Amino acid sequence: MTAVAPPVAPPETTTGTLRREDTRLLCGQGEYLGDVQRPDLKHIAILRSPLAHARIRDIDVSGALTLPGVIGAFTGAELAADTGTFNHHLEAIPTLRQINWSVLAVDKVRFVGEAVAAVVADSRYIAEDALELIEVDYEELPAVSDVEAALEGDSPQLYEDWGDNVFLYIPGPHGDTETAFANADGVLEEKFTHHRIIGLPLDGHGALGEFDPATGRLVLHASTQIPHFLRTVLAEITGLSEAKIRVVAPDMGGGFGNKVHMVREEALVAVLAMRVRHPVVWKQDRTESLTASVHSRQQVHNVEAAYRNDGRILGLRAEIIADVGSPELYVIGAGPAIVTTAIVPNCYDLQDYAFELRCVATNKAPMGAYRGYGQGQAVFLIERVLDLVGEKLGIDPVEMRRINMIPDEQRPYVTATGAVLDCGSFHDQLSDLLEGADYDAACRRRDEARTEDRLVGVGIAQMVEATAPNIHGLAGQFGVYEMAMLAVQPDGKVNVVVGTKSQGQGHETIFAKAAADELGISPDDVTVSDGDTGVLPYGSGTWGSRSVVMGGGAVIKAARQVRDKMVAIAAGLLDAPADQITVSDGFFRFGEAAIPFAQIASAAYLHTFLLPPGMDPGLSVIVGYDSFNTSPFPDERGKMNVAATYATAAAAAVVEVDPATGVVSVGDLTIVHDCGTVMNQVILDGQIHGAVMQAIGQTFFEELHYDENGQPLTTTLLDYAIPTFGDVVEPRIIHRETPSDLIGGYRGAGEGALIVVPAALAAAVHDALVPLGVPITQANLSPPRLRELLRGHSAA
Amino acid sequence: MTDVRFSLNGEAAEVDVEPRELLLDTLRDRLSMTGAHAACEQGACGACTVLVGGASVRSCLMFTVQVNGAEVRTIEGVGSPGALHPIQQALSTHHGLQCGYCTPGMVLTALEMFEADPHPSRDEIVEWMSGNLCRCTGYINIVGALEALAGTAEAQS
Repeated sequence: MTAVAPPVAPPETTTGTLRREDTRLLCGQGEYLGDVQRPDLKHIAILRSPLAHARIRDIDVSGALTLPGVIGAFTGAELAADTGTFNHHLEAIPTLRQINWSVLAVDKVRFVGEAVAAVVADSRYIAEDALELIEVDYEELPAVSDVEAALEGDSPQLYEDWGDNVFLYIPGPHGDTETAFANADGVLEEKFTHHRIIGLPLDGHGALGEFDPATGRLVLHASTQIPHFLRTVLAEITGLSEAKIRVVAPDMGGGFGNKVHMVREEALVAVLAMRVRHPVVWKQDRTESLTASVHSRQQVHNVEAAYRNDGRILGLRAEIIADVGSPELYVIGAGPAIVTTAIVPNCYDLQDYAFELRCVATNKAPMGAYRGYGQGQAVFLIERVLDLVGEKLGIDPVEMRRINMIPDEQRPYVTATGAVLDCGSFHDQLSDLLEGADYDAACRRRDEARTEDRLVGVGIAQMVEATAPNIHGLAGQFGVYEMAMLAVQPDGKVNVVVGTKSQGQGHETIFAKAAADELGISPDDVTVSDGDTGVLPYGSGTWGSRSVVMGGGAVIKAARQVRDKMVAIAAGLLDAPADQITVSDGFFRFGEAAIPFAQIASAAYLHTFLLPPGMDPGLSVIVGYDSFNTSPFPDERGKMNVAATYATAAAAAVVEVDPATGVVSVGDLTIVHDCGTVMNQVILDGQIHGAVMQAIGQTFFEELHYDENGQPLTTTLLDYAIPTFGDVVEPRIIHRETPSDLIGGYRGAGEGALIVVPAALAAAVHDALVPLGVPITQANLSPPRLRELLRGHSAA
Repeated sequence: MTDVRFSLNGEAAEVDVEPRELLLDTLRDRLSMTGAHAACEQGACGACTVLVGGASVRSCLMFTVQVNGAEVRTIEGVGSPGALHPIQQALSTHHGLQCGYCTPGMVLTALEMFEADPHPSRDEIVEWMSGNLCRCTGYINIVGALEALAGTAEAQS
């Protein structure tokens, strides 16, 4: 083989677009779940409970079957005969109520919107018409929608055999709070509340099932963040082996954590595809999304903080009550609340910390994951405590944080709950924040505004985020790892398949770059796929800010293995020692000699006689990649290292409150963000922008309302307001890059701003209201809630 | 069933539909124009936006029979992967899309805006676009893309 001189390196990208996903999405050629078309596709419509709590006495579907175009109508009782049930896979937790549930409710409904029957018909129109013809005989039961009422002895009970409504109880006595409280100069007692909201991907859940009776194979297209996990669960429900099931997750119109759960309807679609022997589709409508999918955040915290007069927090006791609604959701909807308990110490040196967690069932839709996953509530708790204690002592918020922060010298630092923090300097990060936000000037402007009777406030907050977590402790299976396949094709072009699942984060672009950099080729020569269990044996999906950390690590590991084999081939062809071969710009080089990347590829497949003696043909690998540093479950002291690595951030906000309307305007927002090595800053900043807007929505706009009977009052996007163009807050973003010890040096990104910004906004609103003496202890600062608070204050 | 004829992206289209059938469903299920997306089905989000007679409409709130004789333009009639429309190009250059689900509606609303006013100010862009919801981008880069395009020769084309 002749070595040729290398040409000039091609430009990094020739697509003309920033991301390779962009072109098809901009032209309406993305293929989202609702866009998957099949000949003879039948449509599923689901009858849902109008009552929050009732026994099902009887369901009569015969009327539906009389409608032309209806293929079948099904009840939970009928499907239960040959369909498996869901459970939480957490038999090991003795203080968790063990429950099983079916694809449709069988004998009882526990929230408005719970699925009770399904129709399959030629069109969605006919299927929805047919729902009107189903008769359900309900025996209505008293309902409870308030979490604190659900803890009262006389509350209606969702599960009669429990004796109460406590779904999960976890005590966490860490350190020695008794001594800490005995040594304290004072104790702060506060109650903090977090309201119920929803992640709300514009493209909701949905699934399309195809079953081939001849081969016994099922294909389920599903808008899911965790296609392989879903396959494992589908096998339990359908009785098929995993080898006979293929889950395909197409383009996704967002997920934000909502789609890290396997909703009943996904399994229902699989079961009905097997029953009716037609391809069938169910696409969640917005009312189903708002009333019967995955809600988030709702918690009540009763907190006692022991402090010394010098500002040091000595100990903390937190009673954390999570309103999980219906607990019938897998992966367990109590997960975020469990994570809340783990993250409370945040970036502070707080070893004497005890919590009691109660996850309480109420007659509302299931609670589950949303970007931030319980960490925002923890950060809110500790950051509010610091400000409120500081206010009592006359110590300013910056000083309170400096007094209590984990010293820079202690790395790794093991928190009270067992998190092994590998983060950079919190002191430097805070200094960057104060400088970036021009904090002192902001405080001066606030003071001037106060002299004009304007309610201006400045607030800061910090966070530590568990990124790339191990999910085993919450799911009873799975882990922290990721898998990737990399194949160099005979023409030198490369396929990468990864087990993460992009929901809009640009994975096709970033993973192509990661592989190309290792292989010394252009990203344009790399094609990235995800979301197909038929191609990669397993994968863990996208959630927990894990994709770059674990997916990126897996891709790089795979690329290095293939590169090593290509180097060995090149060494043979160039008659050179392998350790002196370099790889760049599409060439393997030894001194002046060079062989094109594509020639090595063709040797591996088409001219295998050129390979070193005994070398197997081909250039592909499937790798698993684990960080090997996480705990699958808590140890005997209740401690665990939940995540492969930890990201950090700090935020400063300046706000002005209009006391007449309760409207808060955000004048300035600064975020310092450390996710280790930055893979693509444009995409990263876009993630931060989106998370900031969701933080604005969570704090000032969004709330899911239920009345006292469990009737949902926010059932369309006309009732549930999310921010739009006029509400833009453009943050000033400052990146710090403290590499982790993992491949690539990555820490997770994507969620941090939604974890830290709500706490900074609350601090700023609190500061703005100092002249009125109205403390902020609630996450919901929407105009009506803030007006309520101000009215309550002026009435008092 | 009712026979409905209209112009779809410059070509003649004919469908036979029930009077209650929504334009969004006709476009997606009968005519394979899946770029308009269902997201709220209440007219609140704009993901299903198409142009009828050059004006943006919510195709989830319009019956197909209402477009009889009209000119309908969908995202499929705006640009193509090989020849992006300047609005599409600007959105990519400025990273004004993430998941892309709301993007076709954004492009069509922006198209209507630039046809009405090639020189919109930032405030006018915000006003024009405020009926379209996005859950990913925080809107910042969408505004940035349209602001960069405003007043250029391409915006007037």
